[in-house]
Amino acid sequence: MTFSTDLAEHPGPPGHAAPPPAPARTRRRAAAPPRPRAPFRPHHLFFYLLLGVVAFSSVSAYAWVFNVSMKTNSEFISSPPWQIAESWHWDNYANAWDRADIGLFFGNSVIISVVSTLIGVVLAVFAAYPLARIAFRFSGVVLSVFLLGLMIPWMVTFAPLYLIMQDLGLVDSQAGLILVYATYNLPFNVFVLVGFMKTLPYELEEAAAIDGAGPTRTFVSVILPLMGPGLASVAIISFLQNWNEFFYALLLIHSPEKMPLPLGLFQLGQAADYGTNWATLFAGMVITVTPVLLGFAVLQKQITKGLTAGALKG
Amino acid sequence: MHKAAQRRIIIPFLMPALALLGIFFIYPLVKTVDLSLNEFSRTGMMRFVGIEQYRLLAGDPAFFNSLKNTFLMTLIGSCMLFPPAMAIAWALSQRIHGERFFRFVVFAPVVLSVAVVSLMWKFLYHPTLGLINPALKSMGLGALAKTWLGDPATALAAVTFVSVWHGIGIWIVLLCAGFERLPADVLQAARIDGAGEWRVFRSIMLPMMRDLLRMLAILWVVQSLQTFAFVYIMTAGGPFGSTDTVGTLMYRVAFDRADFGYAAAIGVVLVLVMLTVAKLLNKVMKRDDLQY
Repeated sequence: MTFSTDLAEHPGPPGHAAPPPAPARTRRRAAAPPRPRAPFRPHHLFFYLLLGVVAFSSVSAYAWVFNVSMKTNSEFISSPPWQIAESWHWDNYANAWDRADIGLFFGNSVIISVVSTLIGVVLAVFAAYPLARIAFRFSGVVLSVFLLGLMIPWMVTFAPLYLIMQDLGLVDSQAGLILVYATYNLPFNVFVLVGFMKTLPYELEEAAAIDGAGPTRTFVSVILPLMGPGLASVAIISFLQNWNEFFYALLLIHSPEKMPLPLGLFQLGQAADYGTNWATLFAGMVITVTPVLLGFAVLQKQITKGLTAGALKG
Repeated sequence: MHKAAQRRIIIPFLMPALALLGIFFIYPLVKTVDLSLNEFSRTGMMRFVGIEQYRLLAGDPAFFNSLKNTFLMTLIGSCMLFPPAMAIAWALSQRIHGERFFRFVVFAPVVLSVAVVSLMWKFLYHPTLGLINPALKSMGLGALAKTWLGDPATALAAVTFVSVWHGIGIWIVLLCAGFERLPADVLQAARIDGAGEWRVFRSIMLPMMRDLLRMLAILWVVQSLQTFAFVYIMTAGGPFGSTDTVGTLMYRVAFDRADFGYAAAIGVVLVLVMLTVAKLLNKVMKRDDLQY
């Protein structure tokens, strides 16, 4: 059976024996890196059914949130959940942005995530350089201190952290939250960047030294420009984590005007439990989710890879 | 020689990162143990009490309730997580149509904030205004409609489901990688020998992915023992403490009772429990290396 199909696909010159099938097959696979779709087989029906159900329920959850965000409050309470909004109330979004302070939370989130990501990435790349490229006595110890941060669940240290922040006067300050986020990005960033730097050839430093560049100069003008992809992936993951973080924001920020989006939205949700401002809250959820989903659609590969590596750290 | 010059930059390059890590991670970590040996009065005074906190903890029904819930959550969650994750990863590793779309849908919740996901599901679960109950009623399954988050019988499972829904993408991607690493020739040989697809899955794929599954199970346990935000946002530990986890208990002890020492003691115990369970799982699930 297999023999005959092989023959059909690779008609050997007449009079010769068919080429040995195994190498031919590997060569064929190597030549076409994206495997072709498997031909349909009965058990695929089960897969399509499964994936279909999963996709349908997820998409309908998002669609429901979007639909509610377009309704008025009274319409939301009186109509069945899947009834399409009578008219599109974009004013819910305006309300959420201005009166429910979503705009303010959004701005806070942008500032907090951007600054903390920058600090976390810059400090990590500096720390990673000696750890990856210079042999010194305590490098193993220092690296394992960073890796400890990947293994211990951070959450259990929140009580002393809160007391320290109190002593430093950093409770209820965005600067404090930024420093905490930056610190909590460090272990993963250092871990990834050290791995990345080790793949660069060691002749780089020697060549730079022969040309008379000092070590700092070598780092800035030789190593750093080669770090593009590593820095990008670390920055994307840090940003995503800082943008989404909830626990430390809850712990450290108390004044509504300083809250980042997840915390602000949570607070709004508490209010909606007792009030009736549902539509605004749902508009706020859509505003929070949309940029993240768009970013994910564009950077799907990098984000998937980065977050998966991030989960494995534990 | 440039090596000597290189040495001069080690300390200035490392210092800023180490300083931050020291202040906001290492010091609090050490301090957790120290705090757990002290008692806080409401005025914020600290007094050394030795292992008194741990003795209190050993007789605290609230702590055991939270520990029970946390373990239950881990167990229910692993039943909700692994079978579907396995099936979806198996499906996605088959190069079917629409693979990119399915991957997007399945992984998308992972990039969303836990706060937003919890809030969204809190409303999806709403008994009259949500989506789930009305949908069940319209399908003639009105008997299945429940006050999901308001009933002690269902609240824990409902919260656990959301945390699984949020995180399942990670597990699926890791399992997909596992499926793709399976040796194609072994699978091919089984199929030629007449094994059906289910048989191949059960007798070859599953045993071969054992190590990966063990690692993922430990990962899940470590993560779900720390559950906080899902519970805090959706039920705040209620109704009647039926969803109270160690995380939420710790937070409440620290901020409602201002008892940081007791909270730190709970934290220490949580880490110890986590390490023990991880070690145990590792041992139980470990088998002699597979030969093929």
